[in-house]
Amino acid sequence: MNAQVKLLVALQDMDQMIRDAEDEAKAKQLRDMGFSLPGIDELKQARDKLVDQIVPRHRNYYGRLAQKYGHAVVPVINNFCTGCFANIPSSFTSSINEDKVLNCESCGRILYWP
Amino acid sequence: MNMQDVLQLTSPSLFIADLAAKDKEGVLAEMVDTLVAGSPADDRDTLLQMFLNREQLGSTAVGPGVAFPHGRSLAAQDLIILLARSRKGIAFDSVDDGPTHLFFMLVAPPQDTGNRYIRALAVLTEKLQDGALRDAALAAEDYEGFCKVLNEEDA
Repeated sequence: MNAQVKLLVALQDMDQMIRDAEDEAKAKQLRDMGFSLPGIDELKQARDKLVDQIVPRHRNYYGRLAQKYGHAVVPVINNFCTGCFANIPSSFTSSINEDKVLNCESCGRILYWP
Repeated sequence: MNMQDVLQLTSPSLFIADLAAKDKEGVLAEMVDTLVAGSPADDRDTLLQMFLNREQLGSTAVGPGVAFPHGRSLAAQDLIILLARSRKGIAFDSVDDGPTHLFFMLVAPPQDTGNRYIRALAVLTEKLQDGALRDAALAAEDYEGFCKVLNEEDA
């Protein structure tokens, strides 16, 4: 997998975690089960360090997509973009594309093959 | 969701009878390796990074001798639960400072509609309050015995 895609996937997982931790209803459910979430600031610092490793054009594109769709990176399942359900041509997975950051031709989201 | 529903989300290949790892990071890595080997999720590095980040947010070892590493990741297509034990116990930054013996690892996809993983966590955290049940789970001979202990009152 392209190293930048790997970083973008990690970034999206981290953003999801931060959103969940800052969602008062979810945080309350977790607190009621005994979980505390004191490390939110440390996690945000770790996010900043991760962002620094992503090249600016991918970082900016991720930001725009996240703002538009919520999730900027989406898994490809059975050759479908799970963001917009457009068919992803099988040529996308050829070795020529192995080290590229690929986007859905329909919605533009960053594609990830889990 | 009840314990039977929760146990539908695991399988014998998602059970570690006695962890070999000796520290927190090693335990998470060993559990993720087993999860990847026993489920459709196969992006080990992404999953491990998510669980390490989750521990940075706050320890998931919230029960006496029990930890519930959990989170959502793009690497998971469905809610998966891995069960693990350490007979000798692991220092896992538990809220009571004691060793952790029982581990319930949950990973859900980002689009976990209805927050199933939160509901599964609620079932597990409530059930594992019972000290006698924890002892029995630790003593259970195998996966089937472990599940039987967890499922006893729901059966």
